[in-house]
Amino acid sequence: MKAYKALIALDLKLALRNRSVIFFNYLFPLIFFFIFGQAMHAERGATMTIVISMVLIIGILGNGLFGAGIRAVQEREANILRRYKVTPITPAPLLFASVITGWILYMPNVLLIFTLAHLLYGMPWPQSMSSILIFITIAIVGFRAIGLILASVVNSMQESQLLVQLIYLPMLFLSGATFPLSMFPPWLLVVTQFVPATYMVTGIQGMLLRHEGLAANLQPAMALLLTAFVGLFISYKLFRWEKEEKIRASAKLWLAAVLTPFLLLGLWQVHARTGIAKTKVLNRQLARSDTFLIRGARIFVGDGKVIESGSVLVRGGKIAEVYEGDGPDPKALNAETVEAAGKTILPGLIDVHMHLGAPGGFYPDMSKYATDKSMLRSLAAYLYSGVTTVRSVGDGLDTILKVRSIVSSGEMLGSDLSTCGPLFTAAGGHGTEYFKDLPATVRSNLERQFTRIPTSADEARQQVDELKKRGVDCIKAILEAGAGGRVYNRLDTGLFDAIAQEAHADSLPLSVHTGDVRDVADAVQAQANSIEHGSFREKIPDALFDQMARQGIFYDPTLSVGEAFKDFAAGKTDLLKRSLVQQVGPPELLRGTEEAMGSAETEALRTSLAQYPIDMAIAIDDLTRAHQHGVSLVTGSDAGNYLVIHGPTVQHEMQLWVRAGIPQAVALQAATWNAARLLRADTRIGSVRPGNDADLLVVDGNPLDDITATERISLVVFKGERIDRTELFDQH
Amino acid sequence: MKGIDFEIQPGEVFGLLGPNGAGKTTTVEILEGLRPRTGGEVAVLGFDPDRQRQQLKDRIGVCLQATNLPEKIRVHEAMQVFASFYGRHVDLNKLLQRLQLEEKRDAFYSTLSGGQKQRLALALALINDPQLIFLDEPTTGLDPQVRVEIHSLLEELKREHRTILMTTHYIEEAERLCDRVAIVDEGRIIALDTPARLQQQSRNASSIAVTCATPFPEDRPAWAEAIHSALDCSGRTLTVNSRHPAGTLVDLVKWIDQQGLELTDVSLKQPSLEDVFIELTGKSLRE
Repeated sequence: MKAYKALIALDLKLALRNRSVIFFNYLFPLIFFFIFGQAMHAERGATMTIVISMVLIIGILGNGLFGAGIRAVQEREANILRRYKVTPITPAPLLFASVITGWILYMPNVLLIFTLAHLLYGMPWPQSMSSILIFITIAIVGFRAIGLILASVVNSMQESQLLVQLIYLPMLFLSGATFPLSMFPPWLLVVTQFVPATYMVTGIQGMLLRHEGLAANLQPAMALLLTAFVGLFISYKLFRWEKEEKIRASAKLWLAAVLTPFLLLGLWQVHARTGIAKTKVLNRQLARSDTFLIRGARIFVGDGKVIESGSVLVRGGKIAEVYEGDGPDPKALNAETVEAAGKTILPGLIDVHMHLGAPGGFYPDMSKYATDKSMLRSLAAYLYSGVTTVRSVGDGLDTILKVRSIVSSGEMLGSDLSTCGPLFTAAGGHGTEYFKDLPATVRSNLERQFTRIPTSADEARQQVDELKKRGVDCIKAILEAGAGGRVYNRLDTGLFDAIAQEAHADSLPLSVHTGDVRDVADAVQAQANSIEHGSFREKIPDALFDQMARQGIFYDPTLSVGEAFKDFAAGKTDLLKRSLVQQVGPPELLRGTEEAMGSAETEALRTSLAQYPIDMAIAIDDLTRAHQHGVSLVTGSDAGNYLVIHGPTVQHEMQLWVRAGIPQAVALQAATWNAARLLRADTRIGSVRPGNDADLLVVDGNPLDDITATERISLVVFKGERIDRTELFDQH
Repeated sequence: MKGIDFEIQPGEVFGLLGPNGAGKTTTVEILEGLRPRTGGEVAVLGFDPDRQRQQLKDRIGVCLQATNLPEKIRVHEAMQVFASFYGRHVDLNKLLQRLQLEEKRDAFYSTLSGGQKQRLALALALINDPQLIFLDEPTTGLDPQVRVEIHSLLEELKREHRTILMTTHYIEEAERLCDRVAIVDEGRIIALDTPARLQQQSRNASSIAVTCATPFPEDRPAWAEAIHSALDCSGRTLTVNSRHPAGTLVDLVKWIDQQGLELTDVSLKQPSLEDVFIELTGKSLRE
């Protein structure tokens, strides 16, 4: 023990007397700190966390490879170890002292950098400093072990310099320590998963940005610990005291042995991809940490209020402040300025009714259609169009939940997804017709995913509870008897009431598909939260609208799907030719749908749909009276049905309303504030208010005068990130 | 190594004398436990250096030939660190005093002179109060006056009856310091005895030189025990080699007197270890 203490004390003194150690350990990281800090605008958003992780990694790499590795070779080459060799000590205290000394020397640096980041760049103190310190400790021990094993396998100073560079440079450039990983193409991201330093960078960034603890970084921490143990053990075994003792060249393979944990981790990551996903999530988080001031625009707040010339300050993913006029000097706010004179800022639009897994048309080869991939792409299409939140009211449960978690984590960029999961219907009810002709095994599987068909009130309640447990955001029930040659079994009212009661008990908004007046009446009776569709064939009585207004039930007329069905039956494809649809629609889908319209295959489908009673005049009349009677309106498109392409759906729905005589402001409020209230998310989205998520749509012109202005998109802000719309589809 | 066989008595200073590459350092390293032996038997302080390395190293002191300390280590720090390696150590201040390093206790290693470095090396070798001290070429590469300085320190150790094994290729060092000397050449001990007896054993006898005022006559008798005689070019100085120089000298002086020659100078020269070495190996020590 004496020897351990004495050697640590000596190593520390020698290090502190060595100018190059002081320079590389303390000054060098500080230089990087300030250069990166200035160059990357570290005062803005969470950029400091990138700077800090870069600086720490550069320091840890240097500390391990040069501080431990090169120094150990130097001591051997200078015949210093030779003198120790004739004393009773083993290599253990020498190796141990090297590791401990490196750690003691490095830690003040960590605290210094965090303090500077806090004082000079306003970075908040990390939530779990202890996790960070432990992680850095493990990193230092691991990298010093790599340095020491390196010293053990080289025969000369030149060899060690070469080998150190061979390890140092890739670690420096491929880990995100010098270039942010967000700049890396996908294939290079895969390479980074084999580089130990990558996990340091993402680990530290995760701890700073996402308040991760050590547990979230267990894999890399264990890999580093393993590297440390293996490295120190082999260094002990291969320890040489004299330069004259040479080691055979094949011993260099031991270095590979030490890096094996990371080879395995990398291979695992190529398979699991959690590391790459984490990298993407971190990049997302960083992009969302931006600070900027959108200045001089008209602001449609969402709840009906309009600021004719105002500014919105976005910071850390949230709307920080809304100002009348230009607001304060952006420099004083450390904010970038986005000049927006002549533009209108709206809350991000919300589509409360769509089926994300349905394509909205025909692909030339439907067998290649992959639901999850298509869903993610569609969410990107919505975001491209400024529809920043969408609600799925009938999709396969497992897939839709998976997709929701992918976008909500930020791993992939796409609009916020809210979902009811499967829909409640009767055996042979609407929703089951799509699976009717499939083989029994396939059908039962699909039905389990897409529908809930309760046979008793208890079962109905149980099914609602189970969905709640799975994490759905709402419950969707179908009340539809059909018409015009398409008839369905209608959900039993007793069962429906049980579903409604349980949904209320579970605090899940209940959305009810209705086909005729009876359906609407039953839904209103059961205190549904929204009436989906209303009716395309029956006039809804004023009294029912009055009741809806009183009860605060939202009315979602989904004019888009009615119009689309009529177009489809008539063989018209105008809806595909809208410019935003052309921008976001998968080219294969648009082409396939155009081609299918002329083919014999869809002929039967179109003939059958033509007989289905859709009277747009009735639907428009219902909508107008709903508005007149004070019913809160919401915008749903039923996208996924033929010719309703995922993307700029809300814009088109609003246009149909305005054409029907609904005021622009009413349509806009339905698409934002009302929809957010239906989703019970109005404390977070649906209005331009401080504290809300910064989901904003900035358009040219004034949609209060001309609703088509909502299609002239200038900027989409999503959770504080100014979306690079051109790159949205590159991620798929 | 072909034939190395010797035993060192407690309190003895034992020298291994031989040219570079003779096998001295290899022998010492095997004894110190630094190098495994391929054959033969070794016991140092009762330990097998191959198997009881740590126990052995704890009890010996070593002054290596080519060694170094970190440049920025202070003298007293080096002492403390090395002291921490052993089960016991002597009073460090006294040791510094004794090796006249007190004034340098705070000096960096890199600022020490060659002699000071060597004194520090000796101090480190003595730090654990060793039962056996190995000195591998303790004065090689040092200035003559520094060498004298080290020699007096070593003589002091000798007076304390320390057991010392030293290697050297300086003959006078061995003559001056060693109780016994083994002459090593090509991995084998070719002679082993006290320096004095080695000299005596030498076939190459002492030489007597006599000088007269006038040249010696051409024909001279064969003196008892004399091996060889030679006249210098002036013809006035005669050198006679003899195994019994005293007897030969008496005979020689008597003969000079009989011849009526006037004796102006007489000298008697003992053979040196170097002479012995050259005679035994046919090589010079310092090439």
